[in-house]
Amino acid sequence: MYYDDKKKKKKGTIGIVAKSLKENWLIFKEEKIGIIGLALIIFFLIFGLLLPAYEHAMGPEEYNPLVGMDLDLNRNPVTGTFSHPPSKAHPLGTDFKGSDLLAQLMNGSQMAFLVGIVVALSSVAIGTVVGLVSGYYGGSLIDSLLMRISEIILSLPLLPLVIVVAAVLGRLSIWGLVFVLAILLWPNTAKIIRSQTLSLRERPYVESARVAGASGFRIMFRHLAPNVLPLSIVYMTLNVTSAILIEASVSFLGFGDPTKVSWGMMLQWCKTQGHLFKALWWMLPPGGCIGLLCMAFYFVGTAMMPIINPSLRKR
Amino acid sequence: MADKMLEVKELKMYFQTKKGYVKAIDGVNFDVLKGETTGFVGESGCGKTSIGLTLLRILPDNAEIRGGEVLFKGGDLLGDDINEYVDLLKLSDTDARKIKWKGISMVFQAAMNALNPVYKVGDQIVEAIKFHEPDVTKEESRERVAKLFELVGMDPERMENYPHEFSGGMRQRAVIAMALSTHPKMIIMDEPTTALDVIVQDQIMNEIKKIQERLKMTMIYVSHDISVIAEVSKRMAVMYAGRIVEYADAVSVFKHPLHPYTKGLMASFPSIRGELKRLEGIPGEPPNLVDPPTGCRFHPRCPYAREICKKKEPKYREISTNHWVACHAEAGGV
Amino acid sequence: MSMTRYIGRRVIEIVITAFVLITILFFLFRVMPGDPVSMMLSPQMRPEIKAQLRVQYGFDKPLVVQYFLYMKNVLKGNFGESFYYREPVMGIVWDKLPNTLLLFGSATILSYALGITLGKIIAWKRGSKTEYAATVAGLAFYNMPIFWIGIIVLYIFAYKLDLFPMGGMITPELWMNADVTTIQKALDILYHLTLPLITLTLLLFASSMLIMRNSMLETLRQDYITTAEAKGLPEKVVRNRHAARNAMLPVATSFSLSLAFSLAGGVLTERVFSWPGLGWELVNATVNYDYPLAQAALLFLGIVILVMMLVADIILVFLDPRIRY
Repeated sequence: MYYDDKKKKKKGTIGIVAKSLKENWLIFKEEKIGIIGLALIIFFLIFGLLLPAYEHAMGPEEYNPLVGMDLDLNRNPVTGTFSHPPSKAHPLGTDFKGSDLLAQLMNGSQMAFLVGIVVALSSVAIGTVVGLVSGYYGGSLIDSLLMRISEIILSLPLLPLVIVVAAVLGRLSIWGLVFVLAILLWPNTAKIIRSQTLSLRERPYVESARVAGASGFRIMFRHLAPNVLPLSIVYMTLNVTSAILIEASVSFLGFGDPTKVSWGMMLQWCKTQGHLFKALWWMLPPGGCIGLLCMAFYFVGTAMMPIINPSLRKR
Repeated sequence: MADKMLEVKELKMYFQTKKGYVKAIDGVNFDVLKGETTGFVGESGCGKTSIGLTLLRILPDNAEIRGGEVLFKGGDLLGDDINEYVDLLKLSDTDARKIKWKGISMVFQAAMNALNPVYKVGDQIVEAIKFHEPDVTKEESRERVAKLFELVGMDPERMENYPHEFSGGMRQRAVIAMALSTHPKMIIMDEPTTALDVIVQDQIMNEIKKIQERLKMTMIYVSHDISVIAEVSKRMAVMYAGRIVEYADAVSVFKHPLHPYTKGLMASFPSIRGELKRLEGIPGEPPNLVDPPTGCRFHPRCPYAREICKKKEPKYREISTNHWVACHAEAGGV
Repeated sequence: MSMTRYIGRRVIEIVITAFVLITILFFLFRVMPGDPVSMMLSPQMRPEIKAQLRVQYGFDKPLVVQYFLYMKNVLKGNFGESFYYREPVMGIVWDKLPNTLLLFGSATILSYALGITLGKIIAWKRGSKTEYAATVAGLAFYNMPIFWIGIIVLYIFAYKLDLFPMGGMITPELWMNADVTTIQKALDILYHLTLPLITLTLLLFASSMLIMRNSMLETLRQDYITTAEAKGLPEKVVRNRHAARNAMLPVATSFSLSLAFSLAGGVLTERVFSWPGLGWELVNATVNYDYPLAQAALLFLGIVILVMMLVADIILVFLDPRIRY
């Protein structure tokens, strides 16, 4: 026992996680779904990163996703605007003012990752810490207080609240949205981490750490954290999808950040220009991308479940 | 001669795993006579629990029956006027279900979770009765349950409770009551007292012996505790690594254990009456069932092992009347 | 504790949470940049009315007093007058709330029924093609933006194939006709309900399905399942009466956690299909700066969530005898 503790001191939380990462990769690989998800994520990452190169190659001013427009285009008699179906110059077509849709889509990819990951990281970080503290001190005043707060936040209607906040503030910048989402999404993670911590708390190694004189913090972060971390990571993937979907919804309804080109904004522009049924090349890709990227993250999260829950492993 | 309830010949059952086939039961022969208790003793993993699962056909998906015959006196349950005995291994699923519980029932190891938490205990027993005897009315079923509860030493009113409202000992009694509820021809008891504390263990053992006497039950009793087996069984089979190494009357095994493993098991328990001896365990570890030792499977741990033991498997033969051993040493020569 | 006391306790908890929600809303509107007065008063109002309202809401008084006056009004059911409709807000809420309950409620019930059934089936057939197909389909619908799916559904079934209406809840011409029976009216609503209901159900079923599947897998490893099989019970009985009945419990427990997501889906569906519910009104009111209505809509949507959580808790108590209440 004592020797093991010394070893753990050397490796630390990160060391333990790194070692189990290798074992967990093998479990992860079993589910094909996880690999597909991972591949999709990498695809979209590269897709977003290619924007500067694409812009540069095609013409930086005309192909700027937010303000660029192709002045060589004529009006499309079918749509009544400068929105054209896919062509050689514009692989995915153009929107109502002649902006290249592919560039917009790439920009949207960047936005999706930005929003998704920042919201997920912050909400899960907060949620995990709250969950650990709440679970470790389960039954105490601080636990009750934290859980009360969580329940109240959880019972708030998420999207309606964000809409009203956006409206009251006039316009919500993308970072304002990120902030609000981080605050509203952490309780979900906190509850799950808390129940996990509650059950882990009873394990013998926690008991022996306590007897050895380890402080609460030390137990929580050195001993319990590595065990709840897989769960946190799964919830991170789930929160990414929530964040992306909410941002898209808010933008679609017209309360988004008009200075940022996101997939949701693209759909909103399509709607306000009345092109939803007229220009399928404009309407379909942004929604499809949202769906694919969110699915990818969800697949990765699902593939990680057998790591946490051995009864799900395929033998 | 009392007639046989069960006759098992050369039963082989393997588990398929990633590392290969686990030879859980590897050529086992035994009989169970009507009204008698046959005990099975051995370490964890020796195959004794698997026998029960095989008889009831509730093996996990990766189990394969590799051969053998299991003749059970249950022809009448299948409506068969001609054949008294049926081979359990060859029954269709539908027929097998008629045998389950009505022919052979089982009390599982660590019955803590054997009861469904969302239904009342009484209802779960009634379920078994109603499935096998559809003509029995609900009232009659409940009366039977009440009597069974009394038989196992519980207040009949408790059948309205849920499993989580029962203590461990009570749950065990309830499970025994459930096993008796369909008047089965044979019961398999798999370590029914292991998960309980010593005092409750004692109580349950007494209940079981009472039931044996009153009902003249045919029983298979499985345990790793040889003293428990000796208490309840008439005949006893000692299992090691998927095989039976010694099979005889319990009294004979106790007075003259022939196989070195049996001797080792006996030496691991203190005797109250006999002289005070040093307790010896059996050195070494249980064998790898995927790749068992060559020759006699016990040879790596056997204090009497000779050259031949490593090379050749000992024949399972009758040394004295109804006393079977699988060992290279001559009778009494060890 | 008896059932009544348990419900009573939970109702009190809901009331407390509702109060907290109202308080949050109060401070939200007061603390945000922007003139608090304009939150309640429309620019078109006559000066006398404005002055009267100012007194009624106490805008000239300190914040604490304003809060109590606000609460007093809320308890009386007075949420002010909608700028857009020129009618008391409460009336509008009462009018639109049932429509939301119809769509959202039936979608919830349908999606859970579908999800639990599918989850049960694919857990039994682990690793099969059915599992793969159901999981991928469910996840696809769960993750795709509901408004996008709604638009596509509208495009195919309403716009191109003309099988269903483009939106709304009723066909106005039909309802204005005096000869139309109640059944015909009900069928008309059903007709309009079909597309949004299917869309919302498709969105939601994956959640309960996957939880049910995982829960079933966990349950099937339990000893009481082996016992049930040993008793000779047929596969269907073991699967439904013994396994599924237990596996359902985590699904019920998780219901409350996914409500916010479901409701968001409901609001967006109402918008896309122009379903005249509270969600639709909320967005409309927000766009029109109709603060009294927006506020009340938000509050009542929150109350819907709370009540549904209570219902889920009660159902759970009925399902699981181990819960001590």
